[in-house]
Amino acid sequence: MHKVKNNLILKGLLVCLFAVALAFSCLSDGFAQSSQLFRTYKKEASGKIPENSEAIAAGKDIYEKKCYYCHGIKGDGNGPAAPRLDPKPRNFTRNEYKIRSTGLGALPTDEDLFRIISSGVEGSAMPFWNTLTVEERWQVIYHVKTFYKGFKESEGHEIVPIGAEASSDSESVKRGKELFKEAKCFLCHGEDGKADGQITTTLKGKWDLPYKARNLTKSWLFKGGNSSEDIFRTVTTGINETPMGSYADYLTDDDRWHLTHYVKSISHDMKTEVVLKSKLAVGDLPDSPGDEAWDAVGSAELPMAGQIVASPRFWTPSANSVKIKSMYNNEDIVFLIEWDDMTNEQSEVYSDAVALQFPTKIPEGLKKPYFAMGESGKSVVLWHWRAYEESLHAVKEEAGDDSETATDGGSVVAEEQEETGHAEEEDVQEEHAESIDEEKATEAPKDKFKSFMTISEMNAKGFKNLSVQPSNSQDSKGKGYWENGKWKVMITRPLVTGDKKIDIQFETGKLIPYALAVWDGSNKEIGGQKSITSWYYLTLEMPTPKSVYLYVIIAIIMAVSIQFWVIGRIRRFPLEIPAEES
Amino acid sequence: MGNRKNSYSMIVAIVSILIVFVIIKFIAPYAFMYLLAKDHTMPTPSTLMLWYMILAILGSLVYVSTSDLKWAKFLSFILPAGDDKTKAIFQKIIVISFPLLVGWFAYSGTMPGTASPVELRIQHPTLLQEYEKLENPFANADKETKRRCVEEGKILYQQNCRPCHGSKADGNGPFANAFRLRPINFTDPGTIATVVENFAFWRIKEGGPGLPNVSTPWDSAMPAWKDVLTDTQIWKIIMGEYVTAGVVARQREEMEH
Repeated sequence: MHKVKNNLILKGLLVCLFAVALAFSCLSDGFAQSSQLFRTYKKEASGKIPENSEAIAAGKDIYEKKCYYCHGIKGDGNGPAAPRLDPKPRNFTRNEYKIRSTGLGALPTDEDLFRIISSGVEGSAMPFWNTLTVEERWQVIYHVKTFYKGFKESEGHEIVPIGAEASSDSESVKRGKELFKEAKCFLCHGEDGKADGQITTTLKGKWDLPYKARNLTKSWLFKGGNSSEDIFRTVTTGINETPMGSYADYLTDDDRWHLTHYVKSISHDMKTEVVLKSKLAVGDLPDSPGDEAWDAVGSAELPMAGQIVASPRFWTPSANSVKIKSMYNNEDIVFLIEWDDMTNEQSEVYSDAVALQFPTKIPEGLKKPYFAMGESGKSVVLWHWRAYEESLHAVKEEAGDDSETATDGGSVVAEEQEETGHAEEEDVQEEHAESIDEEKATEAPKDKFKSFMTISEMNAKGFKNLSVQPSNSQDSKGKGYWENGKWKVMITRPLVTGDKKIDIQFETGKLIPYALAVWDGSNKEIGGQKSITSWYYLTLEMPTPKSVYLYVIIAIIMAVSIQFWVIGRIRRFPLEIPAEES
Repeated sequence: MGNRKNSYSMIVAIVSILIVFVIIKFIAPYAFMYLLAKDHTMPTPSTLMLWYMILAILGSLVYVSTSDLKWAKFLSFILPAGDDKTKAIFQKIIVISFPLLVGWFAYSGTMPGTASPVELRIQHPTLLQEYEKLENPFANADKETKRRCVEEGKILYQQNCRPCHGSKADGNGPFANAFRLRPINFTDPGTIATVVENFAFWRIKEGGPGLPNVSTPWDSAMPAWKDVLTDTQIWKIIMGEYVTAGVVARQREEMEH
């Protein structure tokens, strides 16, 4: 009897599992679309074959079918696809090899090359060559080595040992942070690890050299992997032919582990949310990015790509991800948009900028406007903030002191403070924020977001059909703060406006598509030359209605009464247990 | 008179329902991650979850009511526990947790939540008539011309398509992660290997904006390449693309004979 029962349960479970499996195989494609395919640096290097002329000839054949499009037929990194690549493909005719287990300036081992071919290089066009067999990978390596005669001349490369990892704790991270200063890492990698150090910006901007320090906050873009061991290896062996040297002699093993732990602590993984929840705020909305209210709001980090949809296409964008948060109250909605940009250099033509895109009408059903600037018949609305206009705005505010004092009195003290601190734009901005805080208490409601400037609201029905809204319809305001390689831009607009035809009207509980675009002025980005995202969704969270609790109480009362009625009935009229079948 | 020993078949039924729940909710996401070689767990959709649980409950009820004996034993658990202390504890747990469960259902049902966006699409819409008749101008060319076309096509592919579709044509280019509707993996036997070359020609030339509504053109980042590429170049790209992906286009069936 027991056996039969067990069997049945087992069978039931198996059937359930099978059903789940079937359902999943149907649904798996849907899931894959939202996945992130960030890779790891694979350590294993196996199946090595002897290096002989046959292997080299076979490698040449593969190289000329798969590799030369980027690396060039002569291995000089000048293949036909190279002009559209950033970072540029490796030049094999010199010792430019970056990811090595050997010391600075030394050539990589064959195994190092095998690992890179098997792992690919994150953040670059180099794929992980799982489509080549292990044997083919070795053959290609032997061919690639023929491009540089150094491989023939030097025999045996000493592998720099990586000892056991020192344990990571808050002490180690703290020491690592000190070392980050002492070893002058910040000169390239920036104070906050955002690659905005003086040396980097000079090399990149003024001298136009192709060296970019790694942004240490984005762990998914670390070349040669982001595990502690990988970071330690890079700090130890350095990166050939770049300003990143070896710290093996300068720092002890323990110190390099501390530094590794610090780098780990400031890096993060990308967490993408398809639906961004705008939080309902009680009372006033925050008017600066530093406001504590933002800490309680969930964010979405969205990966970005170059604008490749319409000609002229853009292959080498600067921004590769953007983070967004949102809050609203019964009058306004506000967005905090953050992205990394190592420079803050603005000109009238090339300026850092961000645009938020919504459908002009919240779509009912599946249909949306085209994700890249809409299409005829289905328009989108764009809120476009530009850093250059903001700097003009700041200057104007300073110059317009007298008139402003005349019109709204009240804020003389704050504006005098501004005048003394206008050497640095950031100072001015900070003081703006402060002055707002001071004034808040006495301000009338219409003065909220006072230091914000009116930004450009536009409608688009396709790339070539863009129109700026009339000046009396410009309802959104923005303000940007740049610090240590990061833009924080706030954009706000009333939930509803008077222009129902050209402006989106926000409603709670709906799924509202939104998309973002970012321009980096110092990368000469303007117009269609920009980074873009797909459509994502925004939803304005609804407050919990009181009726919910009432329903719950009713449900529990009903459940309890039914339960006791059933128990009572069964106990009063117990079923006769029939005699055991034999 | 029946067994003197108390029957626990009700507990067995509840436990097996719980096991099903645990498997579907917590084990299946990992199992499918390994089975389908994904980099992320694959949570069971909530509607599926509901159906499986309903099935599990119905299944258990059917099982316990297959004979009068089983049914009587099942219900006998509700009778006073007497000296059996374990039974008394189980009874208390059931009496308390049932109303709580119902309350929780009422709460999650009435709580205004965020619906997940529905994004259904047909990946391979019907090929337009005007593209049906086209023919690859190099289809009948000599071997040397074909070889040259493939090579030119591969170069054009690496220049124009690679940023999204990847050097290996596996849909893993450096821009691929940015598009929620991921660029197609051409090495997957379910993609370009199942369509005729004309279909690829239509998709490259007209891109996302040329898709019918059933294929959600608004989400597709596929450019309409007719703005910069000539028809000849597109045909060459198609030849190069199939070679890069290592697959062959579906051959058109002969309608005559």
